[in-house]
Amino acid sequence: MYNRIIRNDMLKSKLITLTTVIFVAAAAMLVSLAAILVVNLSGALDNLMTQAKTPHFMQMHSGEIDRERLAAFSKENSNVDDYQVVEFLNIDGTQINLGNNSLAHSVQDNGLSIQNDKFDYLLDLKGDIIKVTDGEIYVPVTYMKDNTTKVGDKALISGKEFTVAGFLRDSTMNSSLSASKRFLVSNHDFAELKDHGSMEYLIEFRLNDYSAIGEFETAYASEGLEANGPTVTYTLFKTMNAISDGMMIAVILLVSVLVVVIALMSIRFTLLAKIEDDYREIGVMKAIGLRLSDIKKIYLAKYAVIAAVGSILGIILSFIFKGILLENIRLFMGESEKSSLGLIFGIFGILLVFLVIILYVNRVLKRFKKISAAEAIRFGISQEKTVYAKRFNLNRNKLFNTNIFLGIKDVLTRKKLYVTSLVVLVISAFIIIVPQNLYNTISSKGFIQYMGIGNYDLRIQTNNADQTEEIVQTIDSDNDVSKYTVMTTKTFKVKTSNGSEENIKVELGDHSLFPIAYSEGRAPARDDEIALSDINASEMSKKVGDIITLVIDGKEKALTVTGLYSDVTNGGKTAKGVFNDNSASIIWTIVCVELSDESLVDSKVLTYSNEFDFAKASDIDEFVSQTLGSTISSVEMASYASIAIALAIMVLVTLLFMKMLVAKDKYSIAVMKSLGFTNSDVTVQYVSRSVFVLLVGIILGTLLANTLGEMLAGVVISSFGASTFSFTINPLSAYLFSPLLMICAVLIATLIGTSGAGKIKISENIKE
Amino acid sequence: MNKIIIGEHIVKSFGEGDEKHKVLDGVSAEINEGEFVAVMGPSGSGKSTLMFALSGMDSVDGGKVVFDGKNLSGLGEKELSDIRRTKMGFVFQQPTMLKNLNILDNIILPSVRDNRKNTTTISAKAKTLMKRVGIADLENRDITQVSGGQLQRAGICRALMNSPKILFGDEPTGALNSKSAHEIMDIFSEINAEGTAIMLVTHDANVAARTERIMFMRDGAILSEMKLSKFDGKDWDSRVEKVTMKMREIGI
Repeated sequence: MYNRIIRNDMLKSKLITLTTVIFVAAAAMLVSLAAILVVNLSGALDNLMTQAKTPHFMQMHSGEIDRERLAAFSKENSNVDDYQVVEFLNIDGTQINLGNNSLAHSVQDNGLSIQNDKFDYLLDLKGDIIKVTDGEIYVPVTYMKDNTTKVGDKALISGKEFTVAGFLRDSTMNSSLSASKRFLVSNHDFAELKDHGSMEYLIEFRLNDYSAIGEFETAYASEGLEANGPTVTYTLFKTMNAISDGMMIAVILLVSVLVVVIALMSIRFTLLAKIEDDYREIGVMKAIGLRLSDIKKIYLAKYAVIAAVGSILGIILSFIFKGILLENIRLFMGESEKSSLGLIFGIFGILLVFLVIILYVNRVLKRFKKISAAEAIRFGISQEKTVYAKRFNLNRNKLFNTNIFLGIKDVLTRKKLYVTSLVVLVISAFIIIVPQNLYNTISSKGFIQYMGIGNYDLRIQTNNADQTEEIVQTIDSDNDVSKYTVMTTKTFKVKTSNGSEENIKVELGDHSLFPIAYSEGRAPARDDEIALSDINASEMSKKVGDIITLVIDGKEKALTVTGLYSDVTNGGKTAKGVFNDNSASIIWTIVCVELSDESLVDSKVLTYSNEFDFAKASDIDEFVSQTLGSTISSVEMASYASIAIALAIMVLVTLLFMKMLVAKDKYSIAVMKSLGFTNSDVTVQYVSRSVFVLLVGIILGTLLANTLGEMLAGVVISSFGASTFSFTINPLSAYLFSPLLMICAVLIATLIGTSGAGKIKISENIKE
Repeated sequence: MNKIIIGEHIVKSFGEGDEKHKVLDGVSAEINEGEFVAVMGPSGSGKSTLMFALSGMDSVDGGKVVFDGKNLSGLGEKELSDIRRTKMGFVFQQPTMLKNLNILDNIILPSVRDNRKNTTTISAKAKTLMKRVGIADLENRDITQVSGGQLQRAGICRALMNSPKILFGDEPTGALNSKSAHEIMDIFSEINAEGTAIMLVTHDANVAARTERIMFMRDGAILSEMKLSKFDGKDWDSRVEKVTMKMREIGI
């Protein structure tokens, strides 16, 4: 019997059933995709880092190196399992040509390396350790992704010709957030090119037990070993590798939660409408002695079928789309061994969606209890008292057109009915506004200051302290420069809470000229003040106002922490101070320059690069677009996709809702018409209803987007290291175009959805 | 005497194909200005359909309806609505009220559509009408809080708001007890005495006896007509008997 009831019911309301199935399928697909992606990402990442034997601790270093001392240290330290020094031959981008493309504009430090024989292997796209022969070069996979080159291309490095033999996965430097990229050549070729670049060292350790990393770091620092460059640990490698796909997963998860809510909402209002339609039948069933649970079963069975069909569709869809979304993970990290596990988790996620729907339907059906059999049979409609806006009366209205008044009054009277469509509209407005604001924020010029970089046009970085003066003199006499400042970074020892010493890199100079955004507090202004990057502060468990002790020139110096800031540069562990110091040697110097005319940036970068061949001049916009560019463009795409999806949801839900309302209100419409209201009067009433609900929805959605949405976006952004965050809003698009777009969509859907009202015949609906 | 409505050879069918069924089969009927007319007939005789056709609420398949000098079949939905709103009033068997609005708002609804600046005047007129039909205190009540008789009176107030030329009633007392029905008919008589034409559809001889002319229908056609004098409160029993006799005579 259930089969027949369900089939008839679905045939009668095809549009409603179809829409509900679509929403359920979309929700199931997204949840399943998120699960599949999480499992594959973690599996592939583990796989990559296991096969490559990623170092647990890596100290980048430029300058003199004492290998014997390092070897002795690693032998004596019981935590060390293995140790090696990897040579990285940094080659200027202008000297690297791949096929027809030059890397002259690359902000990455590109360099050559040879295959390691102990750990930190460079892998090919099958996950095997590459064996390279003379004349061959393996190129970082990121240059395959952006189509810089392909296998078989000729490569010209500092005048020597190579053939691109393949692409490599580098478990330490894959990510675009990592500033260096390793190219793999044979030992012989490497030796030949040794004089054509500057040598840097990667001092790498594998530990017996990674949990001892803190202890090891302290030991390394207190020995005063080589530390002229950033320090990176296994955890940070993992984070950097996972970040871009992790963000995608976060976005999918967020959207899937919203779509589940929308699916539940559309189920709610179709179910409520159905119950109202069937009010008398439910009363009759109760009267003839059917149990509440029997009656519930009929309704539950229908939604079980809808949820099941939607879930199966969701599984199929997620299998179709997972390939596209896994592409990036596959390219950069390879296959996951756990991909079948992903399948299981995906199906598990879908089961969860199914269960949530059934439980929700069951909850909505609880109101059957309230239906009195006698009342239902006698009146046929629910006698629940309508609490309408008592003061909002037609006989006191002079402000609104009567039709608009009636529309708004209906919304205020039947709040329960409209609240469902309101929730959907709020969510849609949220989905439209948040990604748009996020995109606007990260693509705005000011965003860079959230990442520990001031708002200047270009910078010149050199590791050669002696020649800094030469740069400064040139900049100072350049008429196109409107202002500049020199920042020197030095390493000091800092006392930890247990009395041992660790290294800390402090950037000294005038921090007020190109200020960065502080998540808390302010820039250091006095000799005894210091600002810490968030990662440093949390590792040292310091907050604003705390005192830290540095060892400078053998003497202890107490500094007050004045501010915390986010930093994506140099592994995120930095500090800023203004004190003078002549004792420690300079690791690197950065000259930050602002030009009087921004359009000169390109030519200036070129001039300075040629003039100072010992330094690296880079355009900040270029730096941002190369480190964050792929993120910015995917957020941009996501924001357009969200607008399209949200508008589609709005149109679909409004259409559905209006069709249902017209069917429900047939009688009232007939009465209106008999009183001499025209079809366009009725249309105006319905349009006022949906526009009124929409306006409330837009206002709530915008408020929510700017509070909750900002918070959520802040969480996403914090994965870059930026912790304080507020939207940069483009008011024209957020407060004018987006609402207009939503209003147009809803208007069109309302007009189509209520077109049936014109066909309602008075005589058929009023005649007894 | 000017005719307010002239219906000529009206044909109206329902259903499609084999199911097609002529409900009005070439009916002609006229109503004079200020006239009080009843249409009687058994269920399915087409009396309500005739009312819907004459008021322009339903389109006709053949023949024509002229209202106040205008051919209704030549008019669009907007003009028909305008005529219904400004020149006609309707009272149905079940009170057709909107659930969302209180009694007063329901009554003023058709009037404020065109004239919301005068809401105060319109409300005052509604209150006068309500007082006249005996529901003065109910203005702020919900429509589920009053009796059927009270609701029907409110419906009459609503129909009278725009001072219509003609009032249509489709079994307006059909759902009421005899006392209420009697009172409602008194109101109709009063309204008619003030010059408003009334057309009632009924199968109750007590209702028809109030009018001055009765059309008897069966199977989509008018069988015969009967004229009575204007009711002045006298000879009630003989009027009712006359109607009953006629009904028996033609077998309805």
